[in-house]
Amino acid sequence: MTHDVVHGPAFALLKVKLDAGESVTAEAGAMVTHTKSIGMTTRLNAGGTGFWRKIQAFFIALIRKFIGGETMFINDFKADGAAGEVTLAPGLSGHIVHRRLENERLILQTGAYLASGPGLAMKLRWGGLRGILAKEGIVFLEIYGTGDLYFNAYGGITPVEVNGSFIVDNGHMVAFSSGLDFKITTPGGGAMGLFASGEGLVCQFTGTGTVWIQSRNLSALASWLMQLLP
Amino acid sequence: MNIDILYKPAHTLAKVTLQPGEAIEAEAGAMVGTTSNVDMQTAAGGMMKGLKRMFGGESFFRNTFTAQGTPGEVLLAPALCGDMVVLDCNETSWFIQSSSYVAADPSIELNTKVGGFKTFFAGEGVFMLKASGRGQVIVGAFGAIEEVEIDGEMTIDTGHLVAWEESPELSFKVTKAGTGWVNSFLSGEGLVCKFYGRGSVWIQTRNPSEYGALVGRLLPPRG
Repeated sequence: MTHDVVHGPAFALLKVKLDAGESVTAEAGAMVTHTKSIGMTTRLNAGGTGFWRKIQAFFIALIRKFIGGETMFINDFKADGAAGEVTLAPGLSGHIVHRRLENERLILQTGAYLASGPGLAMKLRWGGLRGILAKEGIVFLEIYGTGDLYFNAYGGITPVEVNGSFIVDNGHMVAFSSGLDFKITTPGGGAMGLFASGEGLVCQFTGTGTVWIQSRNLSALASWLMQLLP
Repeated sequence: MNIDILYKPAHTLAKVTLQPGEAIEAEAGAMVGTTSNVDMQTAAGGMMKGLKRMFGGESFFRNTFTAQGTPGEVLLAPALCGDMVVLDCNETSWFIQSSSYVAADPSIELNTKVGGFKTFFAGEGVFMLKASGRGQVIVGAFGAIEEVEIDGEMTIDTGHLVAWEESPELSFKVTKAGTGWVNSFLSGEGLVCKFYGRGSVWIQTRNPSEYGALVGRLLPPRG
């Protein structure tokens, strides 16, 4: 499996070349093109075999859709018999980042997941009250294992190496490595900082690891558009 | 006529230089600016043609810009962010996703074609334009534009199609993305266009309806 990200950072497109028998999993609706030898199968965005596990998977997928803002289904693209290529794009304008995970964990903001190679599994991570306050959904997506992960952002993506403490506006947070601890806090400056700074709440990361931030904020676009609606 | 595409790929602007007497026909609302010697005429080209265009998601009227006496300049831009490309119609005719049309040489014949019953329910690519004649056509994309050379068979999401050449060697059919209808709906891919043979297809790297759905769910319901 080889990949190439073209047309970034504004309108990035991910091209994945698969050898015969190889496969890649992608978020529903992400497919742009695929060659003849690629077959697509759709499955619930949760694991499990057996009747009860399937029922369980269905409800987990349902929760992901309505709370996590993700799609309930994901698609597996597999090269049958001959090599092939599939191209994938996220819905929003912005960049795509590849990261090879070597038996490690990465936490994604929901909506940031684009695709992954075999060897990676995902599960929901309850963000608790922190998640609700951060307006980033109540759940995060935790990706773990060994394999290739592709995630996307609204705007450009900047990795920030954190050693100690780092503060990110919650609308700009895309992903972070699991070694980091985070808490929701005010940007400082007391009550004025909370209500008048326009920054709302921020995520404070502590520890050692990487935080990926995006250069635009989708909620900010939505509130700007809202003023223009009749 | 000379066309320059500036500010590629995110926020393109088409700079059209017209010799005296030359003209360009553009989608309503696409004009950004003109030199003062450029005259604008608005016409539908007939009631039925205008209506057909309107059903196709384009404007009822189209504007024709003509340079009077001296060379003139027209600046054109589509509504969405993205790249533009100039298609050469001299050798080939093109099928164009109707929302991608920006402007064309007035000598080019543009016919609205219905893409079939199935696409009607897909909410995308219902209507397409067939551009034929001699001259150039400007098409705009949502996102970057990429040329895909078909050699054999290729599947493309209908929401990412911009234009493709009309050729006896290139055929296409609109079909479901998965093995069954339920599967195709659940996969989020809906309908796809399958191309067979040899030829050139232009795709855009973002899907306007998908973007609209993502931003739209954050907005209040339409009153």
